[in-house]
Amino acid sequence: MNQMAVVPPALPGSVSFSGKRGDFRALVTRGALLELVTVGFYRFWLTTDIRRHLWSDTTVDDDAFEYTGRGKELLIGFLFALAIIVPVYLAYFLISVEAARFKAFASFPLLAFFYLFGQFAIYRARRYRLTRTVWRGVRFWMTGSGWAYAAYAALWGVLVGLTLGLMLPWREAALERYKMRHTHYGDLQGSFEGRGWDFFKRGWWLWLLAPVALYVFPLAPFVYAAFKAVEWRWWLSGMRFGGVRLESTLPRGALIGLYWKVIGWIVLLALAFVVYLAICAGLVASMSAAPLNQFFAPQVFLKSIPLLVLAGIGYLAFALAINVVIRIYLLRDLWVRVLASTNVHGMEAAANVSAKGELASALGEGIADGLDVAGF
Amino acid sequence: MISGPEHETAPLRPAVFFDGMSSRRRTVALAFGDQLEISEDERPLAAWDYADIRRADSPSGTLRLTCLTAPALARLEIRDAAVAAELTSRCTRLDENMPGRHGTTKIVGWSLAATVSIVAVVLFGVPLAADRLTPLVPQALEQRLGEVADGQVKVIFGNQVCSSTAGQQAFAKLVNVLRETAGLDTSVQSAVLSSPIANAFALPGGKVYLFSGLLAKAENSDEIAGILAHELGHLKHRDNMRGLIYNGGTSFLIGLLFGDITGSGALIFASRSLVTASYSREAEQNADSVAIDVMHRLGRSPKPMGQLMFRVTGKEGDRSLSILSNHPLTEDRLKRMTEEDRPLGGPPLLTAAEWASLKAICSVKN
Repeated sequence: MNQMAVVPPALPGSVSFSGKRGDFRALVTRGALLELVTVGFYRFWLTTDIRRHLWSDTTVDDDAFEYTGRGKELLIGFLFALAIIVPVYLAYFLISVEAARFKAFASFPLLAFFYLFGQFAIYRARRYRLTRTVWRGVRFWMTGSGWAYAAYAALWGVLVGLTLGLMLPWREAALERYKMRHTHYGDLQGSFEGRGWDFFKRGWWLWLLAPVALYVFPLAPFVYAAFKAVEWRWWLSGMRFGGVRLESTLPRGALIGLYWKVIGWIVLLALAFVVYLAICAGLVASMSAAPLNQFFAPQVFLKSIPLLVLAGIGYLAFALAINVVIRIYLLRDLWVRVLASTNVHGMEAAANVSAKGELASALGEGIADGLDVAGF
Repeated sequence: MISGPEHETAPLRPAVFFDGMSSRRRTVALAFGDQLEISEDERPLAAWDYADIRRADSPSGTLRLTCLTAPALARLEIRDAAVAAELTSRCTRLDENMPGRHGTTKIVGWSLAATVSIVAVVLFGVPLAADRLTPLVPQALEQRLGEVADGQVKVIFGNQVCSSTAGQQAFAKLVNVLRETAGLDTSVQSAVLSSPIANAFALPGGKVYLFSGLLAKAENSDEIAGILAHELGHLKHRDNMRGLIYNGGTSFLIGLLFGDITGSGALIFASRSLVTASYSREAEQNADSVAIDVMHRLGRSPKPMGQLMFRVTGKEGDRSLSILSNHPLTEDRLKRMTEEDRPLGGPPLLTAAEWASLKAICSVKN
């Protein structure tokens, strides 16, 4: 580590983000409204627009990234994924019927298959995103097998489960090594040098605190935010592309404020929702013929259809507002903070990289969407 | 200078060029001739037709361009506002690839069409499919589902089948006469389970369970006969299988909407409850019709069944919203049973002694 630092980098590999917060806020607010109008189908285009915004305002060594994926690709990937998931679900149903004949509830282990399928989807989704990521006119790309990765992830998952989470750093290191070994930027091959032990050293006390945090509410966001910060820093600092090295100096407390802001907003929005419900109830009560004390008797009150409709509309607005808040703080602001802590060394290795690699389909993203799994 | 005469009049503008073959960053000079000419150190690198030039995503303050006829990832970046403006005015089809407002309208339109079609399929297509597909499902598969459900029921309720000899005989007599009248074959199995819950249910593949809790609340054999006839009605219509197909189909289709929006779970749950409850109410009504028909044919009245249900649930209309309920309100069912009340034309289904031993089926062990 130290002997590398002796060699000064030829080019200062500064990483920066130039996007305006207001632009992003407008983007996700409009996106949330369109998601509502399109009963969620707009998600493919919103995801794409968010990535386009984040990528194209991120510059490394004075050159900005570009995201070349399109919403239509995600939609097609989703439709193809449906064609695969539906027969899988049917087969799962029939197999579980057979299994449960021998012993009641024996079908639960079959859920393990869906775990594998989810990991496969995560790997393939990462491949799609990478092949749509372009920097200096050269794209990133990925090889490797999604199923091999899924098996690997599942085996490590068992180990993490058996050790009550203690092995998590080693699992992440092993999986990241697999992913980065198969990741390329043009003809530069990626690798991952982070070791499980380093991650463990920085975060072991969080592992001890986690059981306490589950019971003491105000502690949980602190522990989780600190864990995410440690994870980000370790992950970025381990990334390599040929001779290009990344380094992150993200402090442990860097993300705590963001999580608390989200919690604060959710509390505020919930309060607003309650006030809205009270106003609606008052309005409906004043319009109905029944006297007030009779109206608020629970059986009458809960049967009022106009009130239920108003509550439903309010709930929708509440849910969408939370989506906007989460995207602004935990997507955009988190991205900006993490980037600000990041430096790239050895940029000269990326000065003349030959383009290589094929585009991958969005099938993995579709399956991940269909199974509701996420990750990178 | 190797270049043509027009270059002598056109000044050269600075830009950054990536040829799409390597990540080499080239500082180039642009010349606006018939084509956009890109040269590095007076050596021409590329010439792009203005009509083929398209905009690519870029940070604000940078104009990033690509060309349809160049390698897909070749990029030209212009940071000088004046040069960018001049070039933009020459490239008439610059923004043709960009997803814009027109695209959004199209997405909204297609989404609405998709929503209408999904809702139509949920309301009309899936019930139709459930009705048409159920007869095609082999009995063997339904039997297997029944065995699975049976195993789970036994785990949940502790496998306490009541079987006093006299009680069992009376129960078998009652079920048999109802089964024959309802037109079901001998594959129907039935049992009384010891549980304080006042309920009865039918499992796929022809199994009817009666809980002793309901038996305890019953005052005569016609009350229990009506309930059992109702459950046999479910078996006759294969309501379990239809419900399975229907619920699977609607859950899947409604799940397509509101995919990954946080908080959408509640919405999906609410809309699904609404449609499946209406479907289930219909199935309950049809099973009630079977019960009414069976009781009439036996010369007995369906009214006691309604009375038993009313005794168990009380008046429901005060407590729940009828459109969310998965069965018709008990008071409405009692009203219907009362309307179908007829003078008794047949003998009692069980003698007083048989009725007494059925009531005691769980209390006597043998």
